[in-house]
Amino acid sequence: MSVRSALEITTITDPGIVRSFNEDTIATEPDLGLALVADGMGGYKAGDVASGMAATIMVSELKRQLRETTPTENNITEILISSANRANRAIYQAAQASPQHHGMGTTLVAAVFHDNRLHYSHIGDSRLYRLRRGKLKVLTQDHSILHEQVALGLISNDDAKTSHNRNLVTRALGVEAQSQCEAQSLVVEQGDIYLLCSDGLNDMVDDANIELAMNALQANLPLTARQLVMMANDNGGHDNISAILIKVLAPFPAIEASGGMLSRLFGWLK
Amino acid sequence: MAKLVLSLDGNVLGYHFLEKERFGIGRKPSNELHIDDSSVSKEHAVIVTVGNDQILEDLGSTNGTLVNGIKIKKHILQNNDAIDIGRYQLRYINQKARPGVDSDRTIMMMPVMNPRRGEGRSETSAQTSGQAGAAVSVARAANDIFPLGGIQGLEGPHAGQTLELNRPLATFGKEGIQVAVINRRPHGYSITRVEGKKQPLVNGLAISEEAQLLQDGDQIEVGGEILRFFLKKQA
Repeated sequence: MSVRSALEITTITDPGIVRSFNEDTIATEPDLGLALVADGMGGYKAGDVASGMAATIMVSELKRQLRETTPTENNITEILISSANRANRAIYQAAQASPQHHGMGTTLVAAVFHDNRLHYSHIGDSRLYRLRRGKLKVLTQDHSILHEQVALGLISNDDAKTSHNRNLVTRALGVEAQSQCEAQSLVVEQGDIYLLCSDGLNDMVDDANIELAMNALQANLPLTARQLVMMANDNGGHDNISAILIKVLAPFPAIEASGGMLSRLFGWLK
Repeated sequence: MAKLVLSLDGNVLGYHFLEKERFGIGRKPSNELHIDDSSVSKEHAVIVTVGNDQILEDLGSTNGTLVNGIKIKKHILQNNDAIDIGRYQLRYINQKARPGVDSDRTIMMMPVMNPRRGEGRSETSAQTSGQAGAAVSVARAANDIFPLGGIQGLEGPHAGQTLELNRPLATFGKEGIQVAVINRRPHGYSITRVEGKKQPLVNGLAISEEAQLLQDGDQIEVGGEILRFFLKKQA
């Protein structure tokens, strides 16, 4: 089955209650099994420029590289990293070149579904979650001061709720000449639901309630997405909220570029 | 900048600015805040600054460290916190450290401990993934302050039962046949259709995927069950 028909994808983005404009950018390419969320930061509307650039460059680079090469398990994570590096350079140069864009940057979480695997990369505090057999799990570790504080044992997970560091990321695209994107991959299962989101969702809605909504409403994915945004806004909506939900409806094994099902069938008959 | 106001028996003794990353409090003269009093341990407590956080930690002092009357081991200081060190009191003043969700913009900051730079990929993540386990969650259950209500089952699987709806959402009906979701929201409860060809009914009228506000006493028919919605009187 093609990856497009094997996945149900729904997207939503909302400015939230407090902010007047939305600096998140989301993008999907169902034919490539690609989805991404970027959360821009920096001066007046510069965050919007940074997240927009990240999305545009990631999509075009991934399109080009996935079509030029025969995607394999290993090289898709490589491609995710090199695409992010290219986006990083472009944003960094744009930020250096114009004073009003100085200091802009963006987080990124990107997913490529291929050959029954999910390849994903992230930088900053945008997250990827997976709901599998009713259990929600976060697959990315935030590049943030708060995460480090907890990881280093400086504060407990419970203390984190009273921290003032929730807005401090330690890595982002476009703020340094070299970016430090992380990428990995895993085997997907039919029935999995993946969630890519900006921190405007998980800062306002705790994981237990994200899990509750995804479990209870998964028969209606667009409604699930709207409910996630609604909960974030009901809790204050302090930041822009973006979410992409991807449900695995069927397996999607890769078909060799040389000829697909028919030639494989004939090859087998010979 | 954050400061501490030191006082004894209600009399202000002085101000101390938290300029250093590590600010020691104790009877030993090497402490940034040196209090020469027998009720204070030699190395009583320390305040460590990490990003915007100033974390107060008791260093195993004899008489303990209290924040707003409660003994602490570690505490992220919030504006106006009252700290007890022996017979002395410290007030923490930092307008930027107000409790609650701040809506400051995201900014970039160097890591606490500079991780190996220039690397990415799975080697790094494989190492980090063991540390914190789950994601850090900062979200608070704001819905505790939302109006509270519930349903009484009149017919069907919940017949004779009364359920309080204290979470942000709850679904009713038959999976794959007809399901509706009831949401607990800042101004009350609403109901929305989730799935099924036939629309669930509220007081005999079909509902849609547009959220509809529920009123006390509304009767809901979904997936073969009949429920009565009720709203508790607010205290």
